[in-house]
Amino acid sequence: MRPTYLSFALLLLPALAQADVQSDAVETILGDHILPGFEQLAGTAQNLANTATEHCDPTSQDLKVAYGAAFDAWVSVSHLRFGPTEVDDRAFALAFWPDSRGATPRALNSLIAAQDPVVASVADYSEVSIAARGFYAMEFLLFDDAISRAGDAQYHCALVQTVSADIAATTQNIYAGWQSGFTQELRQPSADGTYRSTAEVSQELFKALSTGLQFTSDTRLGRPLGSFDRPRPKRAEAHRSGRSAQHVMLSLTALRDLAARLAGGDAELAARLDARFQTAMSQLKALNDPSFASVADPQSRLKVEVLQQSVDAIRATVRDELGPTLGVAAGFNALDGD
Amino acid sequence: MVAAKTGRRHFLAGLLAAGFIPKPSWADAGSPRFLAAAARPDGSYVLCGISADLQVRFALPLPDRGHAAAAHPTCPEAVAFARRPGTFAIVIDCAQGIERAVLSTPAGRHFYGHGAFSADGSLLFTTENDYEAGEGRIGVWDTRKGYKRVDEWPSGGVGPHDIKRLPGTERLVVANGGIDTHPDSGRTKLNIATMQPSLTYIENGRVVQDVVLGTAWRKNSIRHLAVAPDGTVAFGMQWQGGDVAPALVGVHHLVKGVRVLDVPPDDVRRMQGYVGSVAFSNDGARIAVTSPRGGVMQVYDAKASRFSHNIAEPDVCGVAAMGQGFAMSSGLGGIRHIDDRIPYATRHSDLQWDNHLVPVVDTFV
Repeated sequence: MRPTYLSFALLLLPALAQADVQSDAVETILGDHILPGFEQLAGTAQNLANTATEHCDPTSQDLKVAYGAAFDAWVSVSHLRFGPTEVDDRAFALAFWPDSRGATPRALNSLIAAQDPVVASVADYSEVSIAARGFYAMEFLLFDDAISRAGDAQYHCALVQTVSADIAATTQNIYAGWQSGFTQELRQPSADGTYRSTAEVSQELFKALSTGLQFTSDTRLGRPLGSFDRPRPKRAEAHRSGRSAQHVMLSLTALRDLAARLAGGDAELAARLDARFQTAMSQLKALNDPSFASVADPQSRLKVEVLQQSVDAIRATVRDELGPTLGVAAGFNALDGD
Repeated sequence: MVAAKTGRRHFLAGLLAAGFIPKPSWADAGSPRFLAAAARPDGSYVLCGISADLQVRFALPLPDRGHAAAAHPTCPEAVAFARRPGTFAIVIDCAQGIERAVLSTPAGRHFYGHGAFSADGSLLFTTENDYEAGEGRIGVWDTRKGYKRVDEWPSGGVGPHDIKRLPGTERLVVANGGIDTHPDSGRTKLNIATMQPSLTYIENGRVVQDVVLGTAWRKNSIRHLAVAPDGTVAFGMQWQGGDVAPALVGVHHLVKGVRVLDVPPDDVRRMQGYVGSVAFSNDGARIAVTSPRGGVMQVYDAKASRFSHNIAEPDVCGVAAMGQGFAMSSGLGGIRHIDDRIPYATRHSDLQWDNHLVPVVDTFV
């Protein structure tokens, strides 16, 4: 390269480098974070549906293991709420939670009481109340003291099989949506596409990270914490199956991976974020409390509060330091409007 | 300034001596044109009165983050509402700078942050959540009995947010955002899959009209309202779908019906699916909407029912009619009077202006 060209290239370098870093980040997030996550979800959900055809008894260990694997896979991608998960409310059909008014047990009880023939067809079942679908409905069918034993055994079996098959179909549709075009939307932003620039794609991914952290803090931890005077351990996510803490760990693991990739261009920021995630994850491990039952005890409750503060500290770093590098407005109203 | 105040005090003292006490008016509160909630640099919260020259005339402390306020139509009295899911509202005597009363929602309810007075100011109406039922309510408070709660009406939908009274009538219009929340899950949205926003008109506790947009608009949460002198209602929406919002501003008129305003795709994108506030110009010919996320205020031509132009302003959210144009406030501390595209005056403060800029007296109401 001749010297004149070289100096011109050097002038352009910072802008080009920034754009390159962002599109490289999008490529690796797609290839290593998003697509493998949804492939894992579709695969484990299909395995759940297959297992349920063989073992539909709620006490079946095989069924519980298959359910756990598919639910794990969902929680690990549950922050990626854009594109194929939002078509036809697929994400809600997989995960109707929080359920503040008990719509899920109510919907399941009424299906069981009426022996509603809708369970005979997976296609028909996709038209029932969204509260009776997905992983949280399945948890009631397998783990709730009353609903796991409610009604006629044969009907209960059909319900388990249909809910499983519906979950499998939904996850397959999400994965297919990613494979058949939405990947391209992220990879090649265009004037008439969902995203017009790599910066817009980065901002979508940033939003997934920040709302994922918010959900874990406010809902996965905040719901069982309730208030000091009124802790609400029975509001912990998936407490019937003892999965509450595991969900926090799975979500932090996935969000840590996404944060690292988004901050990739800034090694110092990436290290700072990683240290914050490490702190929260170590605190969670030390709790050793699968369903957050300890929130009711003033002594141990404090440790869950500290964990929530650690997640909020990650949020602050993401908002104040990572956001500005991706061009996300960080104003008082922009961040928290109403 | 000081001399004028002293003069006034002497004048009042004279009146008192004569056994004649004038009813206080908004002039006694330093004639604020707008009310706005704000955060102070130390993290505390205030409700401010802002004068026509965009100066802060008073700043009264709030116990927590505020949202909007309602100004009494005649007395210098304002009600500042907690931001949802808050349960307090504070009646402030803006002339004396004191708290008159504290409104607390009954058990099982929280405020959404907006309220409106009846034409004579005798009743205050507040949007509330009956969160166990997941249904919207309108709380009715009697201002003459120290803001006693006297009634409660259905809002006709879920998640009622903004409420306004149509000029020259006792008819209320309510933006039922459609989003179900419950305080035990903070601000988590519980029903995006099944949400159904609506605009309802309420008279004497009865929903007299219920306006919904088509199925394709089901995830466009109707959130904020403005009313024109002729009773046209403009509404700003917040898109809850996973893709790009088709449009975010609409108008409804009891006779002409409902219409979503035309906007080029690039301009609607700039709003990032979010309208924070909406206002009509004083003549009703233009509608301004703000998006702090997009850092932009957009002006629509109400007659032509379409987008007109953008005015960039970082973290802009509050907007109200002012003169021929609009006043807008931002979370970065600025308040700006802008006429068409030309800024007239700007004031900066160390306050972070919150969501709304509330006109004290709507000249046409």
